[in-house]
Amino acid sequence: MMRPTRTAGGVAALTLALTALAIVIESPAAIIAAGSLSIFLLWRAGRFSRNLHALAASLTVSRDVNRTILRQGAEAHVRVRVDLAPPPGMEVRVRDIPPAVAVGTAPLAESGETATYTIRIMAPGRTTFGGVILSARDTYFSYDLHIRHLNKPSLRVFPVRAAEGGGGREGSGMQEFEVDRKANLEGPTVRGFRLYRSGDDPRLIDWKISAKHNVFYVRELTGLEGGTPFIVVDLPTREEGDHETFARYSMIVADAIEGAIESRTGCSLLVIAGGEVTRFLSGTSDVGEAFAALGGLVPVESRAPLYRAPGSAVLSTRARLPGGGEGPEKAYRARLGRVLTGFVRENRSPFGDAVAAALARVEATEVHLYTLARGDASHLAQVIHLARSRGMRVVAKMPRGAPIPPGADAMEAI
Amino acid sequence: MTDRRFLILCAGEVLVVAVGNLLAALVIQVLILAAFLDDRRGYPILIAAVALYAAVVAILGHILLSLLALAIALICGYAALTLHDYRLTQWARGSA
Repeated sequence: MMRPTRTAGGVAALTLALTALAIVIESPAAIIAAGSLSIFLLWRAGRFSRNLHALAASLTVSRDVNRTILRQGAEAHVRVRVDLAPPPGMEVRVRDIPPAVAVGTAPLAESGETATYTIRIMAPGRTTFGGVILSARDTYFSYDLHIRHLNKPSLRVFPVRAAEGGGGREGSGMQEFEVDRKANLEGPTVRGFRLYRSGDDPRLIDWKISAKHNVFYVRELTGLEGGTPFIVVDLPTREEGDHETFARYSMIVADAIEGAIESRTGCSLLVIAGGEVTRFLSGTSDVGEAFAALGGLVPVESRAPLYRAPGSAVLSTRARLPGGGEGPEKAYRARLGRVLTGFVRENRSPFGDAVAAALARVEATEVHLYTLARGDASHLAQVIHLARSRGMRVVAKMPRGAPIPPGADAMEAI
Repeated sequence: MTDRRFLILCAGEVLVVAVGNLLAALVIQVLILAAFLDDRRGYPILIAAVALYAAVVAILGHILLSLLALAIALICGYAALTLHDYRLTQWARGSA
């Protein structure tokens, strides 16, 4: 339902006051004043309604889920892109509605933006998204329209096994969960399924589901819940410290990689040096290969400095800052947001693209960023914002007292 | 709209009431609303509606009857908006 804003409320109150005055003093001029303000509000409401129709008709939502077949309780990463043509003078935001049986909250998105969030499906069966809420507002009215039919894709959720769920079978009547008796003997069980990607192990292809959907699906095992750890190592530059510091840093990074590979089934590794990606390994289980990628962790010359450039992810965040304030300040913020958005679209950095491509390849939910955090930290800021824009948590691991890169979720001293 | 513009609107309405004459009140009212608006697309429609209402007031010549005519017009407008809103909601549900 259309809601009046503070301005419309003020005009309505003025109309009532003029109406009362017209009755008391019996003035035709007061009647004209009251009547014209009433007609004015009705006209604005009609215009808002017409604009809202046009806006809703122009709305397109593109929603991608990393897995459409998954196990109950497993996480799914959702990316929603919203495109629409807002009429002049209208502020528009769109919020995605997760499935009713899911836990997770979607952020607000504006036209042309992609919102990323994570949901956890809590009930088995086939489910769909709840659609989107289109929030429109002009000076006089606002409206939250729940568009339910934009609910693709549907998700298929398998029930968690009785043993995993902790539910007893005795006296429970009908069997509620599927039971895989061999699973206890076979190690990791299947957590969910996702589409096959180039480079996946062919042994992980699930032929039954692939045949049913006519596209390759691979199994994801419970041992990989949360994905393999993604370790980002920032190689120090020559001017950043002494030999003892480098040796200690090298030892800590090597221990972390070795520990990650031994405790899980693999480790994804990204090695950067300033604004340059020197090596990327996706899900490697080979300690030797990982150490070779680090190149001995010797200090390097910075060949591609970013000169404190914030990068497209940071600029996108700034462009989305809420437009608070009044009058000129609000107009300034809106204009700055448009300039930054335009700048983001037209200026892409090779470093940002390379890091984004690496982040897209890994299944991690957490990034461990190892750095000495000295000198220009713009490349760190870009990595952090790109990871966060994909819904990943970033833990910066750096020497105590070093400046914490902006945007990191947590910092651990090394 | 800032609070200052709303205060200007209030002051303008006081001027409209103070003028007393129907035609002068109509002209001043149109000017005040034009100054009040940022975006004047479709403004001639509003002027026509206000002028029509002024004609109704002049013809009826009675305050309460004029208010009754206004109330009827507003109820009709509200009904049209509600119907529009209903159709939009049906579309959003995917059933239209």
